[in-house]
Amino acid sequence: MARILIVDDALFMRQVLTTIFITEGHEVCGDASNAKDGVEKYKTLKPDLVTMDIVMPMMEELDGIGAVKEITKFDPKAKILIISAMSQQALVVEAIRLGAKEFLNKPVNPDRLKDAVRKILANP
Amino acid sequence: MQDSYREIFLSESQEYIDNINGCLVRLEENPRDLNSLNEIFRCTHTMKGMSATMGYDKIAQISHQMEDLLDELRGQKKFVTSHIIDTLFAGVDLLEKLIQEVRLNQESKTDISACMEALKNLLREEILPEPLAAAGIETGKTPFSASDEVEFTETELIKFKKAKENGFNVFNIRITLSANCPMKEARAFLVITNLKRQGEILGALPSLEALKEGKFDRSFLIVLVVKEKSEILQQELMGISEVDNVNISPAEMKPQAPSIPEPAHPQETASLPSAAIIPPPGSGSAGTQTEQQSSYLKKIQSIRIPVQRLDKIMNFMGELAISKIRLVQVVQSLKIQELEEISFTLDHLTSALQDEIMQTRLLPVAYILDNFTRVVRDLARRKNKEIDLEIIGSEIELDRVVLDEIGDPLIHLLRNSIDHGLEAPEERMSKGKNPKGKISIQVTRQKGHISIEISDDGRGVDFAAVGRKAVEKGLIPEQEASNLDAKRVLEILTMPGFSTAKEITDTSGRGVGLDVVKVKIESLGGRLDFETKIGLGTKFLLTLPLTLAIIKAMLVKIKEEILAVPLMNIRETIKVRPEEIKMVQHFEVLNVRNEVIPVIRMEKELGISGNNGQNTAGLNEAISLVIIEYEKKALALLVNQIIGEQDIVVKPLPAFVKKTKGIAGATILGNGRVALILDIMSLKN
Repeated sequence: MARILIVDDALFMRQVLTTIFITEGHEVCGDASNAKDGVEKYKTLKPDLVTMDIVMPMMEELDGIGAVKEITKFDPKAKILIISAMSQQALVVEAIRLGAKEFLNKPVNPDRLKDAVRKILANP
Repeated sequence: MQDSYREIFLSESQEYIDNINGCLVRLEENPRDLNSLNEIFRCTHTMKGMSATMGYDKIAQISHQMEDLLDELRGQKKFVTSHIIDTLFAGVDLLEKLIQEVRLNQESKTDISACMEALKNLLREEILPEPLAAAGIETGKTPFSASDEVEFTETELIKFKKAKENGFNVFNIRITLSANCPMKEARAFLVITNLKRQGEILGALPSLEALKEGKFDRSFLIVLVVKEKSEILQQELMGISEVDNVNISPAEMKPQAPSIPEPAHPQETASLPSAAIIPPPGSGSAGTQTEQQSSYLKKIQSIRIPVQRLDKIMNFMGELAISKIRLVQVVQSLKIQELEEISFTLDHLTSALQDEIMQTRLLPVAYILDNFTRVVRDLARRKNKEIDLEIIGSEIELDRVVLDEIGDPLIHLLRNSIDHGLEAPEERMSKGKNPKGKISIQVTRQKGHISIEISDDGRGVDFAAVGRKAVEKGLIPEQEASNLDAKRVLEILTMPGFSTAKEITDTSGRGVGLDVVKVKIESLGGRLDFETKIGLGTKFLLTLPLTLAIIKAMLVKIKEEILAVPLMNIRETIKVRPEEIKMVQHFEVLNVRNEVIPVIRMEKELGISGNNGQNTAGLNEAISLVIIEYEKKALALLVNQIIGEQDIVVKPLPAFVKKTKGIAGATILGNGRVALILDIMSLKN
């Protein structure tokens, strides 16, 4: 049981993720449709885990990578789960370098997502 | 970024190119030579990275394509064929051309599409193992097989040892990702990033670079220096998605298997004693983990210095040496003991410094000879000849200026041997020779100079043919043609415009002949000799000074002028009575131990008039002569006085006095006077 923030510019993805998390017994404490909003909500909500779409339109000079940077700056222990398309390998590597803890590929496989979340939360 | 890194890029990439060439030749000889293959792969990989960073797209593209092909070879998905080798050679040549464009700041107009296409085709082609090659390959032991162990370099071994001593654990961690793991590059990177948070990675198999590029199957091995226990690591790693299995075992120290030696580049191989890498006592044992880790950082053991800077240092060194000599002379005249002691120490230090600086200018001859395997291979192939090249003594060191200059002459001599010396295989067989011709390059060091011998076991030089040709070309009178000795033949061969080749070939007949070789060698203060035996082969012998900057010379006085005669050319100095100089056919000669040596009066030769100081020696007074040897011919130089032997720093003459007959350069003496350096070559006539 964890408090999860979802950052994704696609409403469809936010809904899919929310459904998966809720059925798993987690609480979706908030969602954001752009990087800037995502960073602000992370700071106020202080969730246990945040899922971050790595490819999002730039919003006030902040994109997915920028959001990862901001969040890890605010909270070095932040548990950031990157959600990315298969083609975005370089971005994912960059996000890991910046401190992202895990990544998953779209299309999201519910079992893989559950497994990943369980593992991130298990690690201190 | 562009400019400051360009030089480094250029010099490094040239080293890589040379290395690739050398390894390709070895790989061609032995297609199973995994060391060479890996080395080529490493070089192209690095080239790709460097060029991409610099924005040299074409270089990056070619090296990338080569790398892909090499990777297939490494993974034994393809097998080394002569076609592949040829294509790789073509790739290297293209890279070299592209790098040259960068060097010359040219905009690249080179078309790389053909080469790219050829490389891509090879990648697509299904190449079945050649039965011969396949038989020798140890099956199941690919370079990345699961049972392989990471091999450590010496530095890593020291780190390893140090880590153990300081109570760290060193683990072999084998990580297996789930089958069909998506984006395994990023996954591997995530695993590595996690491990780096725990400790220091000593090694990986495949390498970390390969892992980041996804060049592995499902499983890879990491050697980690870490404080944590294996259970904690296990838990941590299993907590990463898509990690299927983690196997942790204590690592053992195993030195690296001897791999092919890198071509020796002294600025890199001149390593400090290994003690330098070990952190000073105290910094390791009691520190915190972060302090400990910093001690694992590699210490820089060599640096690159632009050649111009070395030249400058050398020039200053020359000035310093001269000032020192002047100082010593002044001090001696003052007779103050304390000052003499200081001056003695200074003298000693300057000499030591001079030696050290000389050393920095030296490079092993391998620097140029290593490329020759490639040159010979290409030429032999083009001429349909089979040739074995033997290189002896390539570790001998030579001043890099000399080295720079002799590359072309040597290649020319090689070409000469391949074109004219060695016969075609059939012809050799019919003569009962090994169809494979042999060329050997032998470098030896003698006192004050080195000699390079290039010999072949070909047909030898036909004196009569040379004579006929020379007459035909109007180079020598007809009556001389039938009566030639080796020395005269060499003279003819090195006459401008002489070529015995029946047709102009693209190897030898490039409009330059042996004359250019000779002029070059002699301009370096060296000498070209030649021996030949019909049917057995030809040998060219180059004698070169170790360095051009400082030479040992004999100082002599001619009237009021001081002249420096390079010691390398001096056989002896003698004093004779005037009547010992005899006239033979209008020439003055001297009989030294039954050898008749022509005498040259230097004041006349050099046209030194000067005021008649003490003039030539008076009657019955002994005359000093310096006997020099040039092209195995002796000459006695009549001088007024022999001053003595001294190291002199050769300074080029300014342009307006450059072409003065008899003078090769100038030097500044201890007393500040300028002395001219004698040009032996100009005396030969």
